[in-house]
Amino acid sequence: MSGGAIERIDRFARGIIPLGLSLILVIVSALPFYMPGYGPIAPNIAIMAVFYWTIYRPDLFPVAAAFAVGLWQDALVGTPLGLYALLMVLAHTVVATQRRFFQGKSFPVVWWAFAMVAAGAALALWLATMALNLVYVDPSPAVFQFLLTAAAFPFLTWVFARTHHATLRTG
Amino acid sequence: VKLRTGRTIRLAIPFRVLTQRFALLFLIVAGIGLMLAGRNDTALVEQLRSAAVDTVAPIMDALSRPAATVAEGVANARELINLRSENTRLARQIEGLVAWRATAQRLSQENALLEALLNHVPDPGMDFVTARVIADSGGVFVRALLVNAGAQQGVIRGNAVLSGNGLAGRITGVGDRASRVLLITDLNSRIPVLIESTRDRAILAGDNSAKPRLVFLPPNASIQPGDRVVTSGHGGLFPPGIPVGIVEAAEPGDVRVRPFVDLDRLEHVRILGFRRADRLAGEPASEDAK
Repeated sequence: MSGGAIERIDRFARGIIPLGLSLILVIVSALPFYMPGYGPIAPNIAIMAVFYWTIYRPDLFPVAAAFAVGLWQDALVGTPLGLYALLMVLAHTVVATQRRFFQGKSFPVVWWAFAMVAAGAALALWLATMALNLVYVDPSPAVFQFLLTAAAFPFLTWVFARTHHATLRTG
Repeated sequence: VKLRTGRTIRLAIPFRVLTQRFALLFLIVAGIGLMLAGRNDTALVEQLRSAAVDTVAPIMDALSRPAATVAEGVANARELINLRSENTRLARQIEGLVAWRATAQRLSQENALLEALLNHVPDPGMDFVTARVIADSGGVFVRALLVNAGAQQGVIRGNAVLSGNGLAGRITGVGDRASRVLLITDLNSRIPVLIESTRDRAILAGDNSAKPRLVFLPPNASIQPGDRVVTSGHGGLFPPGIPVGIVEAAEPGDVRVRPFVDLDRLEHVRILGFRRADRLAGEPASEDAK
């Protein structure tokens, strides 16, 4: 095989890491832990993935990737198909327009910004659920999930950053 | 050459922006379209979903095993601590159950005798498959599970899903190797039930809380906390008489049922294959699972 082909395969393999890792983590987040009350409020890994890659590798994480991660979450979790997909597209758009703001900012600032985005997503999810089912729904699970998601953000960011630096440093 | 590349870039940038805008618009429309399609044509969307679940079912199956092992370990440790008190409790329970067994044997004989007298048509036979829970829905507003049995094991949409001592939910989506279970606590779950002692009919409606509500009760129904709730079999979806739960609070307009099944800790479930008496063997069960 010529060197060019290997390089192309290598570049392709590196290119799908952000999306691939995100899809795998969504599977992990759906695994049963048999803890009372944990399932519904398990941290929303999809939004963390979209947030991280949109800021740090937008070239490898276009809006279609955000859509794919959301659709994947819909399929596995059982939310109306398209709901998370739409939320992730909106989150991607919001983050992408604010990308310059994040450049070179300290982690607490990024964390705080993430909390804002996650809160917006939780609110939108709650409103959409009520609109789709035409009933009032208790918002407290969404609040707890938001808190867990915000709390888990540093850890997941560490996972993403490690993967990012281990495999995509050259890019 | 420099000029040309300059012009290409000048042309390429608006083009890229345009395609990006178009992609964004397209994806938003696709998302909304999928949601609307899901509301109107659930079967198609369920198929898409099942295809996705089928592809990851083997991975989830493998990954959920260690989680189950850890959970089992914790449960074992807890059991060891409570061994003595558990033992005395069980011994006391057995005393009571021996008496019940005698009663049950007498009643079952009497029942057989009376059925023979009346030429009673027996309920159709039921078979079941046992499946393991491979995914807990991470949805904030969804109460659902994935289990590792699907069409290959004979699971049909609408089948009742039981755990040891009662109804857990029903099958809403079937893939080849995995199916989705909508728990009785989910917002969209509606199960025809009756109060065992009074035979009052009602619908058990989930609202995402741990205790689903009883709705459409007859106005004169007298419901007491502690009444047992079982499936009524109306609508032909479920076999009648599956234990569901116990009435916990019975204020007018808000009757809550505590399910027998601990829905937080489901590891294995039984999927009940059930055919209505008026259906021929081999005919698919009711498609309309709602």
